[in-house]
Amino acid sequence: MRSKPRMVGFFLLILVLTAPVGFPEGARNFQKERHQMVGVQIEARGVDDPEVLSAMRSTPRHQFVPDAIRDQAYSDHPLPIGEGQTISQPYIVALMTEKLNLSKESKVLEIGTGSGYQAAVLAGVADSVYSIEIKKALHEKATQDLRKAGYGSVNTRHGDGYFGWPEAAPFDAILITAAVDHIPPPLLGQLKDGGRLILPLGNPFSYQNLVLATKKGDNYTVQQITGVLFVPMTGEALER
Amino acid sequence: MVYVAVFLASFSSLAFEVLLARIFAVSQWHHLAFMVISLALFGFAASGVLLSFLDAWKKGWEAHLSGRRPLTLSLGLYSISALSAFIILNRLPLDYFRLPLAPIQALYLLTAYLVLSIPFLVAGGVISLAYAARVERTGWVYFATMSGSAVGAMVPGLFLPLFGEGKLLVFVCLAPLAVLPFYGKTRFRVLGAAVFASLIALAAALPVDHPLIAVRPSPYKALSQTLKFPDTRITGTTSSLRGRIDRVESPYIRYAPGLSLRYTRPMPRQTALFTDGDNRLVLYDVDAPADLDFARFTLSYAAYRLLPEPDRVLALLAGGGAAIPCALASGAAAVSVVHSHPAVAAMLKDHYGLPTTAAAHREYLASSRERFSIIHLENWGASLTGSDALQQDYDFTVDAFGAYLDHLTDDGVLIMSRRLLLPPSDALRLWASAFEGLRNQGVAEPRRHIAMLRNWDTITLIVSASPLGAASGAAPNGNPLMDWAREMNFDAVYLSDMTPETANRFNQFDKPFHYREIQALAAAYAAGTEADFFDGYPLDAAPQSDRRPFPGRILKRSELETLYKSMGSRMYAMLMSGEVVVGVVFVEALAVALLLLAAPVWVVFRKGEGGSVSGVFYFLSVGAGFMFGEMYFIKAYALLWGHPLISFAGVIGALLIFSALGGALSQRMGREAIPRILLLLLGFFALTVWGLNGLIHGMLGWSAGARYVVGAALLLPVGLLLGIPFSLGMRLLLASPRQRTYAWAANGCASVLAAILSEQAAVAFGIPAILGCAMAGYAAAWAMAALCRTDPALSP
Repeated sequence: MRSKPRMVGFFLLILVLTAPVGFPEGARNFQKERHQMVGVQIEARGVDDPEVLSAMRSTPRHQFVPDAIRDQAYSDHPLPIGEGQTISQPYIVALMTEKLNLSKESKVLEIGTGSGYQAAVLAGVADSVYSIEIKKALHEKATQDLRKAGYGSVNTRHGDGYFGWPEAAPFDAILITAAVDHIPPPLLGQLKDGGRLILPLGNPFSYQNLVLATKKGDNYTVQQITGVLFVPMTGEALER
Repeated sequence: MVYVAVFLASFSSLAFEVLLARIFAVSQWHHLAFMVISLALFGFAASGVLLSFLDAWKKGWEAHLSGRRPLTLSLGLYSISALSAFIILNRLPLDYFRLPLAPIQALYLLTAYLVLSIPFLVAGGVISLAYAARVERTGWVYFATMSGSAVGAMVPGLFLPLFGEGKLLVFVCLAPLAVLPFYGKTRFRVLGAAVFASLIALAAALPVDHPLIAVRPSPYKALSQTLKFPDTRITGTTSSLRGRIDRVESPYIRYAPGLSLRYTRPMPRQTALFTDGDNRLVLYDVDAPADLDFARFTLSYAAYRLLPEPDRVLALLAGGGAAIPCALASGAAAVSVVHSHPAVAAMLKDHYGLPTTAAAHREYLASSRERFSIIHLENWGASLTGSDALQQDYDFTVDAFGAYLDHLTDDGVLIMSRRLLLPPSDALRLWASAFEGLRNQGVAEPRRHIAMLRNWDTITLIVSASPLGAASGAAPNGNPLMDWAREMNFDAVYLSDMTPETANRFNQFDKPFHYREIQALAAAYAAGTEADFFDGYPLDAAPQSDRRPFPGRILKRSELETLYKSMGSRMYAMLMSGEVVVGVVFVEALAVALLLLAAPVWVVFRKGEGGSVSGVFYFLSVGAGFMFGEMYFIKAYALLWGHPLISFAGVIGALLIFSALGGALSQRMGREAIPRILLLLLGFFALTVWGLNGLIHGMLGWSAGARYVVGAALLLPVGLLLGIPFSLGMRLLLASPRQRTYAWAANGCASVLAAILSEQAAVAFGIPAILGCAMAGYAAAWAMAALCRTDPALSP
């Protein structure tokens, strides 16, 4: 039979070995993880726009996820952010941004601010970013997180994204981050000629296709980009 | 007391099972309900195994345990375990799709299996005990079991609209406690009556939306996603066997699948009706003609471009809802609406003021002699692809196409839209079904009667009673459908005279996949090699008949590995498929069955008290044969009685009542009756294979009452025959309580395995294949009965 002091010593050793080492949690900048994410998850899958890759390398994704799951911020899957919403998989964020073909002068509208991360990445590529969120709590949190992370130039609004942002229209690009069964007509009306609109199609918890609509005069072409498979979140996560 | 206890345990456990199926249908998905309930039913078999062990340990246990007090205690234990199981299950954070990702989910799943199996274990114990204790009266035990189960099958259908799923389940769990006021000394009777009355009063006072009993839909379902919008609420809920309907009001419901990107105006306000938390049907507010404008820009409006201002339109709805605005926008002279759910039909009628019939689509068509300019079928299926692979649906079979075409005017048009799936699967099946439906009608060139269009997420099939070229009339390029498609930015998938460049013009894939595959299919039909085409295609896209009506079934078992890899080798994605789940459940069930049956063998046979191997196989065969037979009639009657769950409750109710009578009749029979009855059953099944399908189709046009009565009457002879082999075998082929409890376990294991195999046989080979399995089961029982020794002391 082992003695009591030995057992205590053993548990202390375990505690020491498993304790986080280095920076306190809030001060970590995750730069290594971010570069690794871009290399392994994004470039390796074919995203090669230098502006997009640079934005992905510089945007602190960990500042847009709940503290409890901050360690997973750079993992290759989406994460729950509360209110039944998710922050998309990094690759999907990069892919959707690249497909919008943005430049510094582009004016872009995001429907569904969510965590604010996608808006921050867009702001790393384009100067003029507008983002609408239907859920007030998410809107307030994302606006605060964007400011804290140095993206105060992003224009955010609490409201129904279905009707777009008429005062700021027309846009060079629109990005919808929630799955829908039809593209809201008011959004198409706020797209410039030659403008691009991207959205995921399908059940938010299973298969989705990324779809890119392009306005050409009075006509539209829709391009199916890729199938994506979102990892499902638990009901518990959805209720947070 | 024994018979009353058996009746109550059987009644409550079967009603519990039916209600669990309803609860799972709302809270999860049908195939996942199947996963949990199937294994929980092993509780019945486990009871026989436990009692076999008990017999080895203590003699005379059956006389002791069949007294009033132990039986009352058992029923109390049943009630407590069933109620606890429901409450635990309702709060368990079980998420099937996370099973391969989060190990804790396996623990939750195991918990669900275990807590649900306990009430079945207790109920099974009461019944098994009765067989062991009443050797000379097995026919009456059987009568009590089957009649109790029959009532249990029918009660949910009658009371669901009054109490809803959760509350009715509480009542059902408490029902066996009805014995409390009738046994024991007077003071115990008074106390028992007070306890029972208090519990019932408490259950009655419980609000249906109380968190303890409220059944919440899966977060993956459309209702849960809709409720996440602000200012969104459920304004009414109606429950029945056909499904729970939730009416949802929200400023954010905007449903318009197939809407052209050329449409730029606002959508009308909408209200949504969800069936079992999914399968949305939308009611559009039509305050002004402009509210209908959007409908003219939907893909389904194609039919109305071919036949402007049609005379009569029939909207067959099983979801969606845009068919009605399409018909109204076209200026149709008359619009008739059909929906199978009476509550939804009533809401549709109230909302639009159109003549609306509550009937299954096939049932309506069979009973109507009217012909329509346009028949618009709206049935989008489940929101998760693959989750409906096990669900019977008679809207898309070749026979259904025949029925639609029979009801079209000479220039009439049939239209239906589905989700656009890649790789193409149901689009091919739809095209082929339309082709074969037309060919069966004697149409010389079916391909000239078919068109298919798509946008970025939906596909629409158009079938015309007259050749489409003739219907098209004058237009700039000779085809108004193509002109309209270009104007709306839609692409063609199939038109007999289309050019390839119109196939991938506006909604671009890497390649025009749907166009290519349907061209190849059309060429195969032209060459008479369609069977080879379907054999070689990686998905099951072959047209189906009413004998195999599973439109959601697209997997081929031979291609599972390819499919798994194509989905990123992620196991959870496979769990969305009903068919994969059935396979997994069968493997699990086989392991549990082998464990249950092997464990007591050593004890049972050790002292030479065990029965013959042929006796065990007799009960395995009879158990499998009965379940296969029951499953066959449940599936075959879904067409006759209009809904799979109505068929489930009705067939079980009728078949078990008649089997109960068969069990009672068996009391007058001797050993020599067993082979005769089995041969009669085989003959009756052969007759059923030959004639039932035609009979059902012949009766489809009858009134609902006539179909229910005649359908039930047809089950009388088979029910009587099915009731005899088990009860007679229990009495005459076995010699000790231990043998009887073990036979009960064998019978239970075989029943569970047969129920799972039935699902697989039906989707893979068609519903009649289940009856083939039943015949094999009873043929094996016949052979085993011949090998069994008879105990002369037990003959009447």
